[in-house]
Amino acid sequence: MIAKKKFIISLSVLLLLWAVTAAVSVLSGTYDVSILEALFRGDELANTIFYKIRIPRVLMATVAGGTLGICGAALQALFRNPLASPFTLGISGGASLGALVGIRLGLAAGILGFSMVTILAFIFSLLTMLFVYSVSKVGGVVATGRLLLAGVVMNFLYSAFVLFIQFFSNFTESLQTMRWIMGSLDIVGLDEVWKTLMFVVPGCIILLSITKDMNLFGLGDDVASSLGVNVKKMQSLIYFATSLSAGAVISVTGPIGFVGLVIPHILRMILGVDNRIILPCSFLLGACFLMAADTVSRTLISPVEIPVGIITASLGGVFFLWLLIRSKKEVIV
Amino acid sequence: MQTIIECRGVSFSYGAGEILRDINLSLGKGRMFGILGANGAGKSTLLKILMGILKAQRGSVLFNDKPLQGYDRREIAKRIAYIPQDPVFAFPFTVSEVILMGRAPYIGRFEFEREIDLEAAKRAMDTVGISHLKDRLITETSSGERQLASIARALVQEPQVMILDEPATFLDIKHRNEIMNLLRKLREEHGILIIAATHDIFTALFYFDEIIMIKNGSVFANGSSETVINRENLSSLYGIDVTVRREGGKVFIYPGD
Repeated sequence: MIAKKKFIISLSVLLLLWAVTAAVSVLSGTYDVSILEALFRGDELANTIFYKIRIPRVLMATVAGGTLGICGAALQALFRNPLASPFTLGISGGASLGALVGIRLGLAAGILGFSMVTILAFIFSLLTMLFVYSVSKVGGVVATGRLLLAGVVMNFLYSAFVLFIQFFSNFTESLQTMRWIMGSLDIVGLDEVWKTLMFVVPGCIILLSITKDMNLFGLGDDVASSLGVNVKKMQSLIYFATSLSAGAVISVTGPIGFVGLVIPHILRMILGVDNRIILPCSFLLGACFLMAADTVSRTLISPVEIPVGIITASLGGVFFLWLLIRSKKEVIV
Repeated sequence: MQTIIECRGVSFSYGAGEILRDINLSLGKGRMFGILGANGAGKSTLLKILMGILKAQRGSVLFNDKPLQGYDRREIAKRIAYIPQDPVFAFPFTVSEVILMGRAPYIGRFEFEREIDLEAAKRAMDTVGISHLKDRLITETSSGERQLASIARALVQEPQVMILDEPATFLDIKHRNEIMNLLRKLREEHGILIIAATHDIFTALFYFDEIIMIKNGSVFANGSSETVINRENLSSLYGIDVTVRREGGKVFIYPGD
């Protein structure tokens, strides 16, 4: 099938899937489908739950899941490695620590409407990525083993710092941090969504505008250059855009693992490896996946909410184990 | 011979080490040039300068009488195609996807391939003889097939020049013959200037119109293969005794006397 046709079909299917998932997600929860009925009766509680909690949550899940999915796909193209993702590269850990430092220093107020917490998360993500990249590059080539190891080590270091900050926090703060570190979409109102979008929209536009270059980059630096790609510029743009958007998301939701790793993987198994298709589709499927996971987290042992990070990590972990076992014959690393 | 690429006093160094020294060359349309030299003589660096990926610190490269640095990347990509020694295929694209990537300089940032691009890819696959591989994953092809796919990818760029780094080094004699004859065909039928680095004397002798010998970063000898491939030049180029014997239209080359 030619690329354009595949692009249109897969995007349409995923948009439909998004709409269905969003509808199900909005209507499920402790206060289930009857919410619509109550809404039409003009019930105030139903009104609050619907507009202040359910809708913002579905939007936040879309923004967060979509961003993590698209960033995973972009990082895999950048590192020429299907195992790269915000989580495995230690970016999630970096952004978490940056955000936590910001929160503890009381910087949430921010400057010019940009939250300092988000900016710190962005800076920490960027530095982590540059560091992991330089450590894993041997003789001009990114070595997979070193890449993953560097990511794991960075995550360990960051969690040590997080625990250190935790240790000096009082009980309430500590509990808040705990919940946040588990990854959660527990927000009220649309403020957080807008704040995140300010970073995510430019980031995603940048990534979507260089998908063709990412494909060419998969043929090696020299061939990509010979085909008209400015390789250095493309690499810098991916670094910048992924840390900006993933950093912003993580500063609100906490680290939500495995979305960026698993989603592009599933899509490549079905749609092939063309980044012009994989990137936008990773956004949509990532959004659907996180919404679905969030719905499960709210309904599984309702009225108790399980942090969504626990759901994504368990689903993603199992999926990846399956992938490892299945692919014993082929080489995925 | 219409000159396409001209090097004037090109020198290049990485840090303190000088890789190329005062290279002067004139490369013309529809010819096939073999750049011969020992490993590390500066062949690959020269190729990268000829296609504008590396900039010469001294001297200049003219492309169609204009400085190569005056063209932007996409303009160069429509005129000069490059095939590396050991092509990277980081992701399992299909063979036809790889070939279509050669159309990149002709397609806008947010555009997909148009009908003419698909036709160009189809023609290139026919020319190269790999139409049967179009849906195969590039990661599941042999090194000969990858080299053919790379040539087809280069061909859809509709280039005036094809630059190849050791195009046949990893291939057995049958596949090497296939690739080199294909390049000769492209030179004849499409008038493409072909420049290929090789460290293999036999390939150079059998298939190229002209040989440029590079030793320690300088052009050491330059001319038709009959004139430059001789005992003196080869012995000096590789630093061992090489015997070249021409008998009844055949050439015998072997180390020692």
